[in-house]
Amino acid sequence: MIVSIDWLKEYIDIDMPLEDLAEKLTIAGLECVVKETGKSIPKGVVIGHVLEKKRHPSADKLSVCTIDIGIGNPVTIVCGAPNVEAGQRVPVATVGTQLTPDFTVKKAKLRGVESHGMICAEDELGLGDDHAGIIVLSDDHEIGKSYDDYFSSSLVLDIDVTANRPDAMCHWGVAREISAITEKPFKKASVKLIEDGPEIDSIAKVQVNALDGCPRYTARVIQGIRIAPSPAWLKNRIESIGLRSINNVVDASNYVLMETGHPLHTFDLDKLKGHEIKVRFAQKGEKFETLDHKKRELSSDMLLICDKETPLALAGIMGGIKSEVNDNTVNILIESAYFTPAVIRKGSKLEQISTDASKRFERGTDPNETLVYAQNRLAALIVELAGGSIAKGMIDIYPEPLEAKIISLRYDYVKRVTGIDISPENCKSIFSHLEFTIIAEDTDSVTVEVPTFRPDIEREIDLVEEVLRVNNIDKIPSMKKLTMSVAEECDKFHPFLTDIRNFFAGHGMHETVNNSLVSKNTGDAGIWGYTPLNVLNPLSKEMDVLRTDMIQPLLATLRNNALKKRTNIRLFELANVIEKNDHVDTHAVEHFNLGVLCCSPLWGLNWAEEDKPADLFYMKGILDHFLGNLNFNYKLKENTNRDEFEILYDIVIRKSLVGKIGKYVDGYFEKLQLQYPVVVMELQISKLFNWYNPRQQYIPTPQFPSIFRDISLVMDKKSKAVTILNEINQHGGKYLVDLVLYDVYIDDTKLDKNKKALSFRLEFRSETKTLKDEDIDNVMNKLFERLINQYGAQLR
Amino acid sequence: MTIHETIKEVQEQFKDVLKNARDPLMLEEVKNTFLGRKGKIAGFFSMIGEIPPDTRKEVGKMLNELKRSLNEQLELRYAEFQSEKKQREQVDYTLPGYVVHKGSRHPLTQAVDDMLSIFKRLGFDIAYGPEVETDWFNFESLNFPPNHPARDMQDTFYTEGGGLLRTHTSPVQTRYMATHEPPVRIVAPGRVYRNEAISARSYCLFHQIEGLYIDTDISFADLKGTIELFCRMYYGKDVKIKFRTSYFPFTEPSAEIDVSCFLCKGKGCRVCKNTGWLEIMGCGMVDSNVLKAVNYDTEKYTGYAFGLGVERMVMMRLGINDIRILFENDVEFLRQF
Repeated sequence: MIVSIDWLKEYIDIDMPLEDLAEKLTIAGLECVVKETGKSIPKGVVIGHVLEKKRHPSADKLSVCTIDIGIGNPVTIVCGAPNVEAGQRVPVATVGTQLTPDFTVKKAKLRGVESHGMICAEDELGLGDDHAGIIVLSDDHEIGKSYDDYFSSSLVLDIDVTANRPDAMCHWGVAREISAITEKPFKKASVKLIEDGPEIDSIAKVQVNALDGCPRYTARVIQGIRIAPSPAWLKNRIESIGLRSINNVVDASNYVLMETGHPLHTFDLDKLKGHEIKVRFAQKGEKFETLDHKKRELSSDMLLICDKETPLALAGIMGGIKSEVNDNTVNILIESAYFTPAVIRKGSKLEQISTDASKRFERGTDPNETLVYAQNRLAALIVELAGGSIAKGMIDIYPEPLEAKIISLRYDYVKRVTGIDISPENCKSIFSHLEFTIIAEDTDSVTVEVPTFRPDIEREIDLVEEVLRVNNIDKIPSMKKLTMSVAEECDKFHPFLTDIRNFFAGHGMHETVNNSLVSKNTGDAGIWGYTPLNVLNPLSKEMDVLRTDMIQPLLATLRNNALKKRTNIRLFELANVIEKNDHVDTHAVEHFNLGVLCCSPLWGLNWAEEDKPADLFYMKGILDHFLGNLNFNYKLKENTNRDEFEILYDIVIRKSLVGKIGKYVDGYFEKLQLQYPVVVMELQISKLFNWYNPRQQYIPTPQFPSIFRDISLVMDKKSKAVTILNEINQHGGKYLVDLVLYDVYIDDTKLDKNKKALSFRLEFRSETKTLKDEDIDNVMNKLFERLINQYGAQLR
Repeated sequence: MTIHETIKEVQEQFKDVLKNARDPLMLEEVKNTFLGRKGKIAGFFSMIGEIPPDTRKEVGKMLNELKRSLNEQLELRYAEFQSEKKQREQVDYTLPGYVVHKGSRHPLTQAVDDMLSIFKRLGFDIAYGPEVETDWFNFESLNFPPNHPARDMQDTFYTEGGGLLRTHTSPVQTRYMATHEPPVRIVAPGRVYRNEAISARSYCLFHQIEGLYIDTDISFADLKGTIELFCRMYYGKDVKIKFRTSYFPFTEPSAEIDVSCFLCKGKGCRVCKNTGWLEIMGCGMVDSNVLKAVNYDTEKYTGYAFGLGVERMVMMRLGINDIRILFENDVEFLRQF
């Protein structure tokens, strides 16, 4: 919101530097900065007087003007505007004027006639968009004077008013704040109202059929006004805060709004059927065209101002076409009303209109003093500007007056909340500057009546805040000795996550943070098969559900990186995925998961090793290390449900599915022209966390030497390594402590072409003695026998 | 065991340890164990008197033979080490090291970790809440009545079935209090969502850290002391802090906190838009309506709450001027951290 410094000075003396004032207001809760607004006209543009206008000898659309620019001899200017006439005062850009950074006015020949300058249109001076004709000025503009002198730039405060302070959305409100901060008096102009028209009841009627939406409605009527442009002072005021000047009545209404914060509406009385106002809620589906030329179909929650037959305005939000005041209006009805904030907000949301009026009504305006003041002030101002006579009396429908709240403040409570002593005198002074009436006091407390323009003040604590903010909240000393209640619980989840993050970062992965909002297709493609939860009001179709897995968003990130020709893409992320579930109140179950994706060489170009892709075996290695660190035993079960995977495994712990690991079919990402296979993994971290049991006691380290046995088996090519590994592990006897598969040999020239050779190293150790060959010979022989008989293996 | 067998066993043992000796230092140890003054061989010689005289000579000869053989093997091994050393001198050790990929932590989660570790030092426990929330926890319990303009401060995504994506981490306050008796001292990190057009300045999701302390006799001065301590721990001891009045429905009084710009030390620069100050968080004394919503005794208990936006702080710190960079996950960006 913009308030003008000049305008503020009508209500309060400001004698401190504006930057300091802005700082003080900001600390008190009105966050603001000082700005300069207004127009500036380039130097060299002066007021000219058109002495003569002739047709151009060789161009129909051009005229040749002789113009007095106050420097002795008049100049000749060729002008193309249709509206130039002799006798006019016009802005003239003289030769040498720089109008824009790349345009300087020069002496020029136009179709053979020399032109010494340019008569300007609005757009050429940055005053508007109009290029239809030149600007014609009133005769009080002095010939030869710089045009810029007629524009005053003004200093304003740009304030970010918080939602609880409707009272501060006007010059009065800001002046009142300054008064409280500086302890200078706040002055309001008194209104002189001459009611010289007929009795109002004889010319207008008001009926309120929706008191819950409109607790108070007042109306005045002025007859015989003349709509005209606003005088310079009003125009300046209106434009200084960034509004457009329309005419005397509209500007006056905006002026009073910006002065008092109370929105007003003026109707053309003659356009009201039956000269009657009816306030009611809309019927469902009722149609209405607002001032912005939008045809609307209304809900029954919308409060309307109507005449005898049809709607005139969306109450407190926006007027309609039909009853708008225009140049022919002579009789007007002024509405000053109080609408229930929640009703206006609902209506404004439903129709998606936010106006200066609706913003104030929905936050809460003053139903009492300010409402009446604004009504009278506007009536008096219109008569001053547009003539006419005010009808006797004011229609006022207010069956159940809203009363001011009475609240006590205990001084020791102030101390309890803030930690400091604030003197009773200080408190009382602040209250009176804020126009709170002190109605009772004793040594321990003060009782005030809160003005009804402060709907935010409801409780004692709110009074504490007033005292605190005006006093400068920043002055409260910081406690140097902090108290601390000892928490009974001690979170272990976050450290668990930090360890996981550091683990994957330590293994060469980059942590990512991806958007949780994804497209429906992406949600449907999730690896877990969850139904995605829809967002009802998405920003776009690309973000209309919540992600159901970690892998799909990582694939999107892979895509984005591949399009930028990035290589070595190794990513991970920890976050929630959402499963739609109608049995919980939010219809959402959240799983905290880890996603990992690799599309990268194992090493990259180097001198020591031939490079390899980081393929499924790389990811399996990471998985093994990760789960091993957490002391989990796991199994992989092949999952054949997904065609896009060359291989996909379910990761199973305690017979429960906790993750997926797999490698995509190479062709799946054809368009991206990836150099390496895409391997992914996802794990349900919340499950792992719940099961995780850190090692409680150490295991004594081996005291006796190990014995190693290497075996090499020739097997069917189709046989699976895991079968043999399981077999050896199961039947390796009590001394088997480690098993490594260290070679896979395929050579059709040396082996049968249906065969491969697998080599294993077995490590045996006892906790109680040094093993001898005899201790394991028996086990090894039995193992050979099993492998030969059951799996057709041959010793190599 | 016959003397022959004993000698054989010593020979075997010797072979084993010799094989395992990886450097001259270990070799020295082997020499001491077997051939030293108190070594095994010396032990055997010292026992020679206990042997029957008829075989004494033969045994003596065998032991001498053993000693000679062990010495010889040791010398051979020494020689091997010498030649290995020479070989090593021919390797080009200026070749680069083997490739070990560098990974990285995302700057956002790093910042969250940094901040949480400070709050943990200040005795805060960590609490969590769901991202898909109910209207009651996200708004009503926090003193945002229906149709209240304060709801406009936070544009909301609604989900099917009547839920919404939490617009702040503040619902963790009431969720936690609803299941815990005071005193309560927690911080709650997490993702929050706003239905705002995506631009350089705003993204549809970001991270917050919420703080809450409820107990008897907690004042605004406690809040200030705690926040100041946090800021000094995070930004360094010279940071200046400024409180100014603001408005949040769930705190009263409410304040915004500015810290002196860490880049220009308050002199004014691009990061602080020449104000010398950076807005970092909101805070206030918990509104009694919030305590009432969770059935706390408002006469007995007071407390404070605060909330900060992680993205904002990270962007200021790293000089990032477009929030989308944080969610783009370009590996060339990520690898910098």
